[in-house]
Amino acid sequence: MKAIIAGALVLLAAAASAQPPDLTGVWAPYRGGRGADPKLAPPPATPLVLEPQYAGPFEARRKAEADAAAKGAPIASGAVACVPYGMPRMMSVALYPIEILPTQGQITIVAEAFSEVRRIYMNTPQLPMGDVPPGYYGRSVGRWDGDTLVVDTIGIKPTVPAYQNMPHSDQMRISERLRLITKDILHDTITLDDPIVLEKPVTYTLAYRRMPGYEMVEFVCDNNREYIDDKGGTHLKVRDR
Amino acid sequence: MSRAILRRMMRLTSVFLLAGLLHHSFAMFDTTKTVTLAGTVTAFEWTNPHAYIELDVPGDNGAVKHWTIELGSPSILQQGGWKFKDLKFGDKITAIVNPLKSGQAGALLSRITMPDGRVLGNGPGAAGRQ
Repeated sequence: MKAIIAGALVLLAAAASAQPPDLTGVWAPYRGGRGADPKLAPPPATPLVLEPQYAGPFEARRKAEADAAAKGAPIASGAVACVPYGMPRMMSVALYPIEILPTQGQITIVAEAFSEVRRIYMNTPQLPMGDVPPGYYGRSVGRWDGDTLVVDTIGIKPTVPAYQNMPHSDQMRISERLRLITKDILHDTITLDDPIVLEKPVTYTLAYRRMPGYEMVEFVCDNNREYIDDKGGTHLKVRDR
Repeated sequence: MSRAILRRMMRLTSVFLLAGLLHHSFAMFDTTKTVTLAGTVTAFEWTNPHAYIELDVPGDNGAVKHWTIELGSPSILQQGGWKFKDLKFGDKITAIVNPLKSGQAGALLSRITMPDGRVLGNGPGAAGRQ
């Protein structure tokens, strides 16, 4: 009898240790730099290497952006017109938190900025690349690999901004590995691969800290006073009174 | 530490903070310049993607100049200690701002002294560091 109970306890312990970590809750960006613990801050990204035909225009655009900013009319991103970021940028917008909501067969992530929502379907096969209509969030499927949540996302349309505003095609694949570094620090290591635009995949890591008790703030973009001129520059509408 | 180094550090701190506050580039504003505006609030809009203070500022000759001051979003301001009912029509405030490069009477908030004497920044950690 004792042996049976001991065996059952061992099985229970094994089952408990196989449970994936609980990521439920609100997480705020945890950035490196002043005041950050270097052991918890995200490691450096790998270099961004574009195919030669995309590298030149990308650098030219960066220079144009710098010139426009110096003149006080920065080149507008979609966000200036209150267009949401989409994937992968929605995972890290300034200081805005994200909320992770696991439910049966699905993990939903809500980003506070622009109230963006993405859904990760668990233990479900990914569709072929051409079967997902290109959009802002594409289609995400996930699975647990030990203590790591592995997510695959495809179907992001080329106008949706990506890492460092790099160009990308609708063939871009986003691979994520989310893992708790400590009880309250989460890392999301993101690899972007694009057989058309990137010479090799680029990998960067986002870090988050748990925000117990934080209540997500609504974000409805109903008072956008910035406007974009016919050259793409951003301006502020000021009022007379 | 020399004043020049201190000024440079303040400017870098300002740029670092701003980069975290805004949903767009802050290059519309001249972050190397500050203007102090003491005036009367005509509107406080707790809205997205930004909150705004509309401010009447009396000049030396008695004429009133109106300013539009852009702030971070409610989420970012809340993280810095702001509340949606912190300001109302008629309140007297003093704001230190970065003006628009265009020369229009618009600006980005850097620091504000509220009617009750509290000093707040334009997001978490901004007050008292500049």
